[in-house]
Amino acid sequence: MNQIGREIPRLEVRAKVTGRADYTHNFRLPGMLYGKVFRSTVPHGRILEIDTEAARALAGVHRVITGEDIRKLIPEPYYGPAFHDQPILALDKVRHVGEPVAVVLASDPHIAEQAVQLISADYEELPAVYDEVAAMAPDILVHDVLRPAGTFVDLKHLKGRGGTNVALDYHLRRGDADAALARADHVIEHIFKTQQCLHLALEPFVSLAEPGDQRLTIYTANQSPSFVRIEIARLFGWPENRVRVKVPYLGGGFGGKLYIKLEALVAALAMIVRRPVKIALTMEEQFYMITKHATTFRIKSGVGKDGRLVARTCEVYWNGGAYADIGPRVAQKSGFTAAGPYDIDNVSVDSYEIYTNRTPAGALRGFGVPQLVWAYESHTDLIAHQLGIDPVEFRRKNLLRDGRPHASGTVLNDAAIPEVFDAVVARMGWDKPFDRGSGTLRRGRGVAIGLKAVISPTTSVAIVNISADGSTTLYTGTVDMGQGSDTAYALIVGEVLGLNAEEVRVVHSDTDVTPYDMGTLGSRSLYHMGNAMRLAAEDARAKLRALATEAGLPEGTNYPPSEIFKKRYGMQAGNVIGTASFVPSYTPPDPQTGQSDNVTPFWMVGGSGVEVEVDTETGRFRIVRLINAVDCGKPLNPGVARTQVSGAAIMQLGFTLSEVMVLDGGQVTNASLADYKIPGIGDIPSMEAELVAGEQHSGPFGAKGIGESGTFGVSPAIANAIHDAVGVRIMELPITAEAVLRALRAKDGHPLDDE
Amino acid sequence: MIPFEMVEPRSLDEAIAMLDPQEPTIRAIAGGTALMLMMKAGVFQPTRLICLHKIEPEHGHIGVTGKGDLRIGAMATLTEVEKDSNVAARLPVLTRALLTLSNPRVRNVACVGGALAHGDPHMDLPPVLVALGARITIKGPAQTRELPLEELYAGYYETVLEKNELISAVTLPALDGRKAAYMKVTSRSADDWPALGVAVSFTLKDGAIRDPIVVVSAATEKVTRLANAEKMLQGAATDDTALTRAGNAAAEEASILTDAHGSAAYKRELLRVYLRRAVRRALDESAAPQ
Repeated sequence: MNQIGREIPRLEVRAKVTGRADYTHNFRLPGMLYGKVFRSTVPHGRILEIDTEAARALAGVHRVITGEDIRKLIPEPYYGPAFHDQPILALDKVRHVGEPVAVVLASDPHIAEQAVQLISADYEELPAVYDEVAAMAPDILVHDVLRPAGTFVDLKHLKGRGGTNVALDYHLRRGDADAALARADHVIEHIFKTQQCLHLALEPFVSLAEPGDQRLTIYTANQSPSFVRIEIARLFGWPENRVRVKVPYLGGGFGGKLYIKLEALVAALAMIVRRPVKIALTMEEQFYMITKHATTFRIKSGVGKDGRLVARTCEVYWNGGAYADIGPRVAQKSGFTAAGPYDIDNVSVDSYEIYTNRTPAGALRGFGVPQLVWAYESHTDLIAHQLGIDPVEFRRKNLLRDGRPHASGTVLNDAAIPEVFDAVVARMGWDKPFDRGSGTLRRGRGVAIGLKAVISPTTSVAIVNISADGSTTLYTGTVDMGQGSDTAYALIVGEVLGLNAEEVRVVHSDTDVTPYDMGTLGSRSLYHMGNAMRLAAEDARAKLRALATEAGLPEGTNYPPSEIFKKRYGMQAGNVIGTASFVPSYTPPDPQTGQSDNVTPFWMVGGSGVEVEVDTETGRFRIVRLINAVDCGKPLNPGVARTQVSGAAIMQLGFTLSEVMVLDGGQVTNASLADYKIPGIGDIPSMEAELVAGEQHSGPFGAKGIGESGTFGVSPAIANAIHDAVGVRIMELPITAEAVLRALRAKDGHPLDDE
Repeated sequence: MIPFEMVEPRSLDEAIAMLDPQEPTIRAIAGGTALMLMMKAGVFQPTRLICLHKIEPEHGHIGVTGKGDLRIGAMATLTEVEKDSNVAARLPVLTRALLTLSNPRVRNVACVGGALAHGDPHMDLPPVLVALGARITIKGPAQTRELPLEELYAGYYETVLEKNELISAVTLPALDGRKAAYMKVTSRSADDWPALGVAVSFTLKDGAIRDPIVVVSAATEKVTRLANAEKMLQGAATDDTALTRAGNAAAEEASILTDAHGSAAYKRELLRVYLRRAVRRALDESAAPQ
C-alpha cells in the first residue's frame, strides 16, 4: 500500500490519551534527590554573599550548592550553543531576575522548597538595561567580554570583543539600497515593535541526571539530545560516549527546550553529590528560563510610480536578554529574510542581537520570522494604503517568484509564494462584496504572507533495522513533541520497504542508541531526518537484496524478508541495518554582504487572511474568520499537517492578542498562567487551514517542514484587518482592545488619559 | 508547596472552633479554587487547613424559605446553583452569570461561601448577588449575624469577617418583577478574570426605571454600589440619552484602578458603555421567554 499521503492518526496517540506515554516528569530513581532553585531577585548585580547556613541546617536538606561549588568541579562552567556565556549557577554577577544562584538538594522536594526560602543573597546592585535599542549604547554592559562558542565559524570574529552589548551584528547588502531610495518616487518608513513572550509548554522544564561509573545518564525533556551530549561532554572534558541522553515524549517544546536548559545543572549536581538529581520547574519558573525576543524593527521602502518596490532597508534589534542562547542565530538566520517575500533589487539588512538584563531569548516557533513578518507585512499594507493601491494587488505586483533571486542572492526554488497568496485571497473572496458592518460594529479584512528559510547546514543520521522475521525498527534522534515526526518517519520507511507505517517500530532519542541529529528545531526534521530516513531505508533494502544474493536466491525473486534471513542463516536469525546521513549542500554567505548562491535547502511560505469586527465604543474586536495557507510541499500525512498549521496559528494568535511578559524593574509581574494569558478554547475563532500542495524536489518524497509556517501571517493580517475596519494602525504587539480604542480616540482628536 | 496539616471537622460549629482569630496561617477550605492558587504561588503558606467537606450536608442545601426567599447554603457548589431549578425559575440572571463564570471544572468544586468570602473584586458572583439584594448569614463562635452582602467588602481582598467567622448561607429575595443583568468584559483571554463587571437590577414602571441597583466590580478595589449612577437612573427613561448620562455618572463616581487588565482611563470608558448595555440586556432578557 502506498504510504505517502495516507491520512493516519499519530502512532503514539493511544498511549498519550490513555496516560501510558512516558514523560520525564514520571521518572524516579532510587536514591534520587530533588533540586529546588534559589533565584536572583535583582536584574543586575555583583554577588557579595550567599548565605546558605539556615537552609543547610534545615532537617532533611542534603546539600546546598552554589556557583563556586560548581566551579570546583568544572573550572569554566559556562555553556550555550552560540556563546559560552551562561554559568551553570551564577558566578560573580547576576544578570537577570530569576537567574539560578543556588540549589537545595533534598530527598523530599517540599523540604528543598522550604529550604530555598531560607537562603539569602547580598548583591551590589548595578544599573540595568531592558530595552533593546537603549542597550545598543555601551553605557550599561551586561557582559564584560563576548565569549563565542566556536561551534559556528561565523561568530569567531566576536571572540574577546568588549565594551558592547551587541552579541551579533549581521549585515546583508544587495544592490544599492540608499541610492535606490534616493531615486524612488515614494519613500515610506515605519518602526514596529514586538513584545517579550514565552513558549510556556504545558510540561515545564524537567531533567534528571544519574551518575554512573565513569559515565552519566541524563533523562530530560529536551529537543536536541545530541547537542546536550556534546555540550555536557565538553563541560566535563569527557569523550561523548561517556554521556547518555534519553528523551521520552515531550509535553510541548516550541523551541524552548532546545540546546541546554537544566541539563548542565543536574549533571553538575549529580557529579558533585554522586546521586541521581532531578529538577522539575514549576509553571511560574518557566518565565526565567527562555523567552521569545522582543524586537524593534525600523523598515524603509522605496516605491516607484508603477507600484513596484525598488528598495528596502531593514534595521532589526533583537532583545536577547542576559544570555545569548541561540539568539545570534535567530538574528542572522532569520534576519536575512527581513525584507520579506518580495522581489526587490536593492536591499540592506542590519540585524543586531543585543544583551539586556531580561530573561534570555531564543527560538520560538518561527525562529524570529514571526517578528519580522509582523513588521514587513504591516508596512506593506501601509504602503499600499498610502499609494492608494489595493493591498492584494500591491503584493501581487511585487511577490518573489521561483527563478528570481532572493535578497540573499539565492535563486528561489520550490517556494510556492504566489500559490499560497492566491489560496488565501481566493478563500477570502477578496473580489466579492464585503459586509463592512454598521453603527458601532465595523468589519474589515486583511492578508499577510511570510517567507522563511530553513537553517543550514545541519546534519541528521538515521538507522533502519530489519529483524529476522522482517519486522522493522527505525532509530531517530528527532524528538517527537507532538508534531508527528515518529509517524512521518514510519510512513517514509514503510513507503521504501513496502510496509504499513503502523507496523514500523520507532525508537527515538537515546544517544547510546539513536544516531546524531542536530536538533528538533526550525521545521528542519521532516526534511533532514526524513531524507536520512529514506536513504537509510533504501540502504536496508539494498542490503537485504545482497543478503538474498548471498543466500543463493536468484535476482528479482519475491521472497519475503523472513525467508531470506532463514535461507541465509539457517534459522530465524540475523538482521540488516541500513544507515544514512544527510547534510544538504550550502554556500556560506559572504560575511560583508550576506550574499550566497545557496543559502538554504528549502523555503517555507505561510499566508493568512483575517476578517474582524471591531466595536468602536470599546476597541474590542472579534476575529470572524482566520484563514491560514502554507506551502507544504507534498503532504506525507495531510491530517497531521493541517493540525500543525492550525496549532501554529493559535499559538501566534496568543502572541498577537494577549501574551506579554510585563516587567517592573526587571521583575516579571505576571509570571503565572493566571496572569499571562494564552488562548483558551473560548478564544479560538473560526479557522481554516489550507495545505497548498507542491513539490519540494530535494525533500523526502517531495515533502518539506511546516511546523512554523502557520505562524507567519497571523499577527499582521489581524492588524491589517483592523486598519481596514476602522482606519487605525497598531504598531506594537500585542494588539489589545485598549490599544485599538486609544488609537480610535486619538484619531478622533479625543485621546484617552494615560492612566 | 510546603506540607501543612489538614483537618476535617464533622460540623460547622466544630470547624469554627478550630479557627484562630489571631492566626492567619489557619484557614478554612471548601472548593479551594482560590486558595490553592495562592498556595501554589507561595502567597499563602498555611500551617493548617480546616476542610469543610465533611460538615453537615444541610450547609450545601439550596431551597425556598417560608417567606419565599431563596436560601443557598455556603457549601453549595457553583454547578449546583447553576443547575438548580429554583434558581433558574426565580433568578435566571444568576444562572446565566454562572454559565460564564470561569469553567465547569472550577464550578464543579468552588463553593458559594468561598466565592463570596474571598474578597477578590474580580469574581463574578458578588456583583450579581449584590444587585439581587443578597443577605449573608455569618457564623462565629458566639453568635450568628446577618449582613447585606454589599457590606461584606472592606477593600482589596478584605472583608469584615473575623478570622474565626464563616459565611453559612446567602439569602436572596424574590425578583418580584425586577429586571436584572450582569455583564463582564475580559481584556486578555476569554477565560481571564474580568477587567470590568457591571450588575444592574431595577423595576420598570410606566417606561421609567425605579429603585435601581448598580454594582461595579473587577475594575475597583472592591465590589461597589454606585449611588450617583443609581440616582441618575431613578425615574429615568430607557433611551440612549438617559443611559449614557447614567454611564457617565458611573464612570466619574467609581474609583477605578489601573492594573494588568487595562488602564483606569480605558476601564472608565468600558464602564460608560457597559452600564448602558447592562440595562439594555436586563430589558431584553426580561422580554425574552425564560
